[in-house]
Amino acid sequence: MSVVVPLSEDQRDALQEITNIAMGQAASSLANLLDTFVNLSVPRINVVGVEKLPSAISQLVGRETDVTAVRQSFQGYLRGEAIVIYGNDGCKELGDLMGYDEELDRSAELELLLDVSNVLVGACLGGMIEQLKGVGENNSGELSFSAPSMMAENVPADAVINASKLTWTHALLMEVNFSLESHDFISHLIMLMPEQAIDKMRGILDEFIASF
Amino acid sequence: MTESAQNVNLPDFIVKWVDVGVFVIDCEMKITLWNNFMANHSGHTADKVIGRDLFECFPELPKTWLSKKIKSVFILKNFAFTSWEQRPYLFRFPHNRPITGGVDHMYQNCTFLPVKNEHGEVDSICVTLFDATDIGMAQTLLKEALDSLSESNNRDGLTGIFNRRYLEQRLSTEFDRVKRYGGEFSFVLFDLDHFKHVNDTYGHLGGDEVLCEVTKQASSLLRTSDILGRYGGEEFGIILPSTGMEGAYIFAERVREIIAKSPILFKDASIPVTISIGIATFEPDTPNYEHLINCSDIALYASKEGGRNRVTRYAPDTAT
Repeated sequence: MSVVVPLSEDQRDALQEITNIAMGQAASSLANLLDTFVNLSVPRINVVGVEKLPSAISQLVGRETDVTAVRQSFQGYLRGEAIVIYGNDGCKELGDLMGYDEELDRSAELELLLDVSNVLVGACLGGMIEQLKGVGENNSGELSFSAPSMMAENVPADAVINASKLTWTHALLMEVNFSLESHDFISHLIMLMPEQAIDKMRGILDEFIASF
Repeated sequence: MTESAQNVNLPDFIVKWVDVGVFVIDCEMKITLWNNFMANHSGHTADKVIGRDLFECFPELPKTWLSKKIKSVFILKNFAFTSWEQRPYLFRFPHNRPITGGVDHMYQNCTFLPVKNEHGEVDSICVTLFDATDIGMAQTLLKEALDSLSESNNRDGLTGIFNRRYLEQRLSTEFDRVKRYGGEFSFVLFDLDHFKHVNDTYGHLGGDEVLCEVTKQASSLLRTSDILGRYGGEEFGIILPSTGMEGAYIFAERVREIIAKSPILFKDASIPVTISIGIATFEPDTPNYEHLINCSDIALYASKEGGRNRVTRYAPDTAT
């Protein structure tokens, strides 16, 4: 197992700041889209070794709960996979806000989860990359996303990720609570990045810090 | 000679002819680009739809949902997707396999891309539509094959009811569930009396017929959540979820009775059959599901010892 190099305090502060702003922007866009008050919490950020990931996830979500997870990959200046984890009550209540007018069947429910995940991941990463635009070499400030897909349905929290099957060694763990005026639901956003991408991000963060 | 590369705008040429649907809509939902793939599959040529409202041209599109999706791309400046797995198609297109198809319409994966102007604002949206029919069909066939494989893997060849492996698997699941969330369930084990004698008298075909008929009779008494399986040669197990000892006893008595009073017809013979039954029920201190099987086996043995054609409820002193 490789040694996990955590983010330095400065790097973490910078990333925290960047994601705070990104989430603020995402919340206001989502509010605009959904016509309701949206609150995205300040993300909690940590870099963990992949072997610690299953236990980190069950700590976040609670060991006793079954969860459903969606994955989506992104590539471009940053490269990796984002995973969004939902508790089992999921986000059914979001159905009407996302334009589903009928009762949700299983397919529609899954599609809704994929939609919401796509929106969260896009808003979060999009906001980050937007602020880091121009920082670092060859930074086009652009990311592309592949279609999100279901990763696990109704499985125990520590079974979402099989650490032994991951080829990547580090994960950037971000916990984002997503709540609406009418009711709360919590989702957890996890970014997995290959080592080079995390190193690259460290470099970008250092330059970002130096630019102030 | 074909058109030379100098004379055509290459990107335009590619967009026009690529074997992927590509179209663009502006913020008023008006179509501003429509490539050949879209034209050929929809039957609406570019000059008929460009400048017109998307939903006016295609009233069958799910308007509420799709407008919201498109709006999300404008507002969030973010990619959006649809996948055939959840939504088989956006446009109701025939697919490219009119003969070998087997599905009604072209499965589609769509990507909605925000098109930004020089100020970074999104003023239109480009949609790409991929034909996912082949993948969809392959996946559907694979799923069917896997389902039927796992189904036959769980079945007993002779009687068609579940086999021992599956029965134990379900018993284990039920045990874990009740252990974790509370509740009750019972396990019934029964064995045909003097089955060797049946085989000796009527041959193995007669024996097989008896096994199948007993299965049918027992099945007829099951509730939908009960699980009947062939445990071994002439031994059967039934999982009774949400059923305590008394309920299980009443049920087992019914099974015993129906079998005892309906002799099985084989060729010209009428074969009388009886069964001996043992019941064990889940107790909070039951250590594992194997223990439950053991207990029902002890009770079954007591039924045999007691003269057969009877039901015995397991109690810790049954064995003595």
